[in-house]
Amino acid sequence: MKKIALCCIYFISIQNYAQFTSEKENSKDSTYSFLDKTEFKLGYFGNSLWNPGLSGGAEYLIREKIRIKERRRGNKTITNQLLLGGNLGFYWDPRSHVGVFTDYGITWRRTNNKGKQISVEFNPLGYHRSFLPETYEVKNGEVDKVFLPGRSYYAPSLSIGFGRLRKGKKLTARYFNINFKLLTPYNTGSLPMISFNYGYRFKLRKKNKNRQNEK
Amino acid sequence: MKSKILNIMLGCLSFLCLLSCTKEDINDLSDTFYVRHKGADMPAHIYGNASEKVFMIILHGGPGDSGLVYRFGTIKNRIEKSCAVVYFDQRGSGMSQGRFSKNDFNIDIMTEDVMALVKVIQHKYGQDSRFFLMGHSWGGTLGTATLLKKDNQDFFKGWINLDGVHDWSQLYFNYIDNHQAISNEQIELGNRVDYWQSVLDKVKTVDTLKPKLDDFLKLNREAFVAERNILKDGLILDEAAEKYGNEILSNYVFKNNLFTTWWSGAMTRNVLITEEIFKHWNFEDRLSQIRIPSLFLWGKYDIVVPPKMGEVTFNKIGSDHKKFVLFEQSGHFPPGCESEKFADEVIAFINTNK
Repeated sequence: MKKIALCCIYFISIQNYAQFTSEKENSKDSTYSFLDKTEFKLGYFGNSLWNPGLSGGAEYLIREKIRIKERRRGNKTITNQLLLGGNLGFYWDPRSHVGVFTDYGITWRRTNNKGKQISVEFNPLGYHRSFLPETYEVKNGEVDKVFLPGRSYYAPSLSIGFGRLRKGKKLTARYFNINFKLLTPYNTGSLPMISFNYGYRFKLRKKNKNRQNEK
Repeated sequence: MKSKILNIMLGCLSFLCLLSCTKEDINDLSDTFYVRHKGADMPAHIYGNASEKVFMIILHGGPGDSGLVYRFGTIKNRIEKSCAVVYFDQRGSGMSQGRFSKNDFNIDIMTEDVMALVKVIQHKYGQDSRFFLMGHSWGGTLGTATLLKKDNQDFFKGWINLDGVHDWSQLYFNYIDNHQAISNEQIELGNRVDYWQSVLDKVKTVDTLKPKLDDFLKLNREAFVAERNILKDGLILDEAAEKYGNEILSNYVFKNNLFTTWWSGAMTRNVLITEEIFKHWNFEDRLSQIRIPSLFLWGKYDIVVPPKMGEVTFNKIGSDHKKFVLFEQSGHFPPGCESEKFADEVIAFINTNK
């Protein structure tokens, strides 16, 4: 029930945002291909400094709003983006378990004139699987080794991120995210997880000159 | 760039695989496995000399602490050389995970978890494995409950009660008497008179006729504060911090996710203490049924589980071979205060009874 409710909120939020976008923006969007509008990312992921991991993902631009403020010293451009995204990653908890996760959701990102970015990422569709080391199950007095031991959890997450655009570089931006994830059900309740994510975003297709000029 | 990223990923994975390997040298074992039982996956870390197949299982305190907290000082440097030490995270504690309801979370099922651990060690290291059970604080309650269930005592060569509680209602009344006694003693000595007077005032506010959870928690919290003050006054040795600080850091902090262990511990305490404490954690009437060799280790300045509790348990158990050792400069955790004496006693007990 909880999952269904979260899904509904998620899709309603996408629809509502779409209503605010102008026709001009839509026509501009149509000139870009799927790969132009998609950025990939890869970075360090960790629950803490001693639980290292990696995470990667993709972000697809669904809406972009560019506001230009006129100032004495020159124009100030602020870009607001709405992106659909997904992540896949793992981390290692020493002598305890390896966690593999994937999540999908929506990201709002604001980029200022200097290329500094802040973002909020909400991933209501999350799945987390722990892989435990050697595990034995004791049932009715019998001991059996468990194949692929571990637990599956529903794991929605929320991230707050800071980053910076890297104009003209292959790695188009760097980011630092603070993630808050909830694993549920965990023991008798839920387990919150706080983690950090530091990495770079990149595009698979180089920008062609025409489009660069257009910008 | 793609190949660079791929190389980094493969490098990281290889590094993780290398670090995850366990050492299977029976004389210097380093093994980690999980025990799955009734909805819980509980880690057991075994270190030390398993050549004689003698295993000392440590039941941690709390409820809600973690097994690896105990792996430092002479437990690691001396006891692990004479036997294999099993650091076990109980259901809902440490890095244990799983899925079970609050109704399925009680001391009865936790005693079954301990026996499930015994069965797995027998399965892995042989049916001729021999076991000693050591319970610290709350672990003393769980250990007592384990030994009193069915024929569980047949599986153990000995029981080491380290500042363990056998009856939580008794502990409530013991707090009232002990808090007053230690406060008066310290006031007479002129130590922190204002503080000890405040303890006396606090004791006056609790119900002295019937155990109440709120009052118990108030007295329990005060016991930890009082013990810290006694430590500052130099009556308790602080070897854990002075000699073994780095070891504790490397063996616990770097091998646990601190946030997970803290959160799980807090949730567990909340469920177990609220539901069970005065209803199901009282074993005084059945202590005479404990008949295996027993060693009682207590800190003289243990305010959290006062030595009087240990004396009552010691006098009531039915073992023919039993010994009570009072550590003159220890509080609630003698391995962290008088570590050499602690190791001497434990090793001698294991060697005599294995």
